[in-house]
Amino acid sequence: MNYRPDALDRALLDRMQNGIPLTEKVWDSIGGEVGITGSEVLQRIRRLRAAHILRGIGPVIEPGEVGLGASSLIALRVAPERIQTVAAIINAYEEVSHNYQRDHTYNLWFTLTASSPQELTRVREEICRRAGLEREDVLDLPRRKRFKINVRFRIGGNGARRSR
Amino acid sequence: MIDRTEQAVLHALQQGIPLVEDPYGEMAKTIGIERDKLLSCIQSLLDRGIIRRFAARINQRELGIQVNAMVAWKVPPERVEEIGRIMATHPEVTHCYERAIVPQRWEYNLYIVLHGYDPNTVEQYIDELASATGISEKVVLFSTEEYKRAPAGRVGEVIDS
Repeated sequence: MNYRPDALDRALLDRMQNGIPLTEKVWDSIGGEVGITGSEVLQRIRRLRAAHILRGIGPVIEPGEVGLGASSLIALRVAPERIQTVAAIINAYEEVSHNYQRDHTYNLWFTLTASSPQELTRVREEICRRAGLEREDVLDLPRRKRFKINVRFRIGGNGARRSR
Repeated sequence: MIDRTEQAVLHALQQGIPLVEDPYGEMAKTIGIERDKLLSCIQSLLDRGIIRRFAARINQRELGIQVNAMVAWKVPPERVEEIGRIMATHPEVTHCYERAIVPQRWEYNLYIVLHGYDPNTVEQYIDELASATGISEKVVLFSTEEYKRAPAGRVGEVIDS
């Protein structure tokens, strides 16, 4: 990490994770709330973007509202020396949003989002065939109900608890 | 459902607005509509729940929030609703879903994702949730590598018919 965000950067990131004003002078609006000018806001967020701390500013689209009503979590048991290869096969699919290696015998976990359960199955089968996986190496865990999704991180002064 | 203008707006915005002095003006020009029309369109998409948020997405790992744990819990079916709500209220839980099981092989039915600065703190959150709910059968899956993280919602380009 080259750039260390200061307290004001953190306040900006906290503020901007909640939502960006839909106003003509958007940076001035945000700056007004944290006590800096709009051009300083822009300068800071460009720096945060360049440091890969800010991923971007835009809409969080509800998949179910744009025809992507089916979702599943797939777990794979992959030989450790093949994990990079299989991860690359998985990542190439636009239906895949998240793909993580996890500390378990099922060691690769990814999420699929598609228009229907049939489409989910088709993509999952294609990935598993290309990855050369047997049925017993795969867990398909379709979503039944969502209780929460809220990916926001409190990073200002009163951020998440740290261990003592 | 969304109309063609909304589809064009979502398609253009999903990669993020440009970090320039007048980002909405620039986006509007790209899409071929007025800035005011773009802003009212985004507002309408928010009001209708098609956009959950119009906001900054951050890379929390770059800020020291390095730990990502998924916990799969085995919850009696009649208690999923109650326990799901309890888990969802924990501030460090970003995702909470009920999922289908694989009978005989994988009978965990409630999943959460938690984040934190270090594994001990995250283990502590998990212990808090176990005692708050009385659910003890679980598997904790710490992530060791992130291969992909992208928005699940995506909108294709408007195709002229």
